[in-house]
Amino acid sequence: MQSRILVSYSVLAAAVLAVFLVVALASRGPVEAQAAVQARGYAIRRWWFLLLVAVFAVGFAVTIPFFPYGKAQAAGEPAHVPVTARQFSFDDLPGVIPLGAHVVFDVTAADVNHGFAVYDPHEALIGQVQAMPGYVNHLELTFDEPGQYTVRCLEYCGLGHPVMQAKFEVR
Amino acid sequence: MATMSIDAPGDRSGPRMMRLYLTSGLGLAGVLMLAGLSMRMVQAGWLHLGTLDFYSLLTLHGAGMITALLLCGMGGIWYLVRRETPMNAALGYWTYGLILAGVVLVLIATMVGKFATAWTFLYPLPFVNPVWPWWSTGAFLIGIMLITAGWTVWSLQILEALLRTYGGLRGALAWDVVFHPAAFKASGRKAPPAQMLPALVISFDGLFMSSAGMLLGAALLVHWVDPTVPLDPLWAKNLTYFFGHDIANFIIYLLLAFVYVGLPRYTNREWKTSAVFAIGWWGTLLFLLIAYFHHLYMDFAQPVGVQYVGEFASYFSAIPVAVVTVYGGLLLVWRSGIRWSLGSIFMYAGMAGWIVGGVGGLLDSSVPFNVRFHNTLWVPAHFHNYLLGASLFFALGWVFHRVEERGGRSSIATRWLVGATVFGGAALFIASFYVAGAAGVPRRYSIEPDPGPLLARTGSIGAIVLLCGLIVALVEGLRLWRAGQRAGQRAGQRAGEPAERGSLR
Ligand SMILES: [Cu+2]
Repeated sequence: MQSRILVSYSVLAAAVLAVFLVVALASRGPVEAQAAVQARGYAIRRWWFLLLVAVFAVGFAVTIPFFPYGKAQAAGEPAHVPVTARQFSFDDLPGVIPLGAHVVFDVTAADVNHGFAVYDPHEALIGQVQAMPGYVNHLELTFDEPGQYTVRCLEYCGLGHPVMQAKFEVR
Repeated sequence: MATMSIDAPGDRSGPRMMRLYLTSGLGLAGVLMLAGLSMRMVQAGWLHLGTLDFYSLLTLHGAGMITALLLCGMGGIWYLVRRETPMNAALGYWTYGLILAGVVLVLIATMVGKFATAWTFLYPLPFVNPVWPWWSTGAFLIGIMLITAGWTVWSLQILEALLRTYGGLRGALAWDVVFHPAAFKASGRKAPPAQMLPALVISFDGLFMSSAGMLLGAALLVHWVDPTVPLDPLWAKNLTYFFGHDIANFIIYLLLAFVYVGLPRYTNREWKTSAVFAIGWWGTLLFLLIAYFHHLYMDFAQPVGVQYVGEFASYFSAIPVAVVTVYGGLLLVWRSGIRWSLGSIFMYAGMAGWIVGGVGGLLDSSVPFNVRFHNTLWVPAHFHNYLLGASLFFALGWVFHRVEERGGRSSIATRWLVGATVFGGAALFIASFYVAGAAGVPRRYSIEPDPGPLLARTGSIGAIVLLCGLIVALVEGLRLWRAGQRAGQRAGQRAGEPAERGSLR
């Protein structure tokens, strides 16, 4: 999924740069009065505005079903796995999770803010949540692919932050 | 070329204030870029730094860069508002003094005290098993609060000047231009010039931001003095990001004022305060304040309602930019016979960089994508894209605009050399962050998992090329400035001739 987003981003960025280039090159052509340019430009601007509003409104509506909040309740009987993050380890994380398991990690922190990010066997980030002292955050994931998963802390938590990671096996 | 200055006649304090803020801001930014490059080189495996040194440098780099670019924008707006209306220069220097004192404290806290919580200093990290001395936590917090106090004084002064000059909030917001255009025209009153809208919106919103910052700072200081006083981590995180997101976000809007003033002079066209323009800025006024929730998407404990608000506000904060400012900028340039010089090139490139960074930011502000990108290098990608690829370019564009006014234009070879190295280097440097983010490489790591080190090498090369380009730009800027000085002396000898005023076409 991440690589698809990167490609979409690159295409959009290239399109933006192309527009800027075209406008810059056009400045070498015949000079027009500002009023003439504006008359045409403002007509286009109305459609541009409506297009953007539509894109954002649709984008907003489309993303909502994919929000990760409170999905656990809807999805049947998940197994709860409590995890406590502390400087600089993840306590109680099981070494093995059964293949196909539907898991809710109940994540909290013992000392400071941490992150709890799950990377799949291909090192792709598949889900994350913040680990906060005094709060329990529920991260729901289903493990359909066997292999070794890595959990990394993604919230800066002190000098051991870059080595704060754990592994578990799905089989 | 004789004087074509746009300084208010007889005003010396405006240009002086701007020079002070801009040179300090750009100087600080230059030094901190070297700090940034060394961190990227540590991640590349090309340089060794102890973990504590790395993270105290990271803390300084983050807090310092924001302050540096903020200084550029604050000085610029001060000057632009001063052109329109009298302002107390002493207050401008007090602001500067407060910020300077804050910067010195932050420098001491991070470089001597090795305070290392990253600029976010998320509660309770500063107080749990700190490896840095107790005093450095206090010094850092007080330093940040002094910078925020300087910001507050500045916001109050700018806001007062604008409300006084344009007839209250209603006039400064160009309310009547939108709702009573005919009566407004007939009344003979003046609408605020385009660059006054960012000044108003940011100084107004800035007071909310600084209140949050001061409240957070005070709470943390109380806890610093008496650790038995508990704070709520989620509450502290909300204040941190309301304060931090806004202050970082404001920079680009502040520096945008330079483009509103500068670009028309290169194109010989006018950037007017129209009804659509004013409404766009009202939108910015609102959305800037509520978009910060996108920093807390991965805090599932946060009420779900505000997560929706966060995504909505993040999306719609892009509309004024894309429909009014940048679209307006493109219309200004289209078939204008614009005079391309380093000043106009930097301003124009900054607008492109803003949109490109905006696309990266919008993707990250979509909750389902944020799951994949939150706290990965995608985030530094998009804010370096904004701060380096837009804010800094706006500031450089303005500096060149100033020296070109009297010193003339660079040769086409120089323009190509500076453009290729600065834009090429910046693009490579920023792209290395985006690609790493997509590969899941975490941010704020002194040593990164693969493919982090490889991409850090690419990024370092980009940063080195960029820095070389900026050095060439500096030399060229100094040359133009000295040429302008000499031209000014010659013009002084021929006193009595009418001064030429006008555009840079
Ligand atoms: Cu961590």
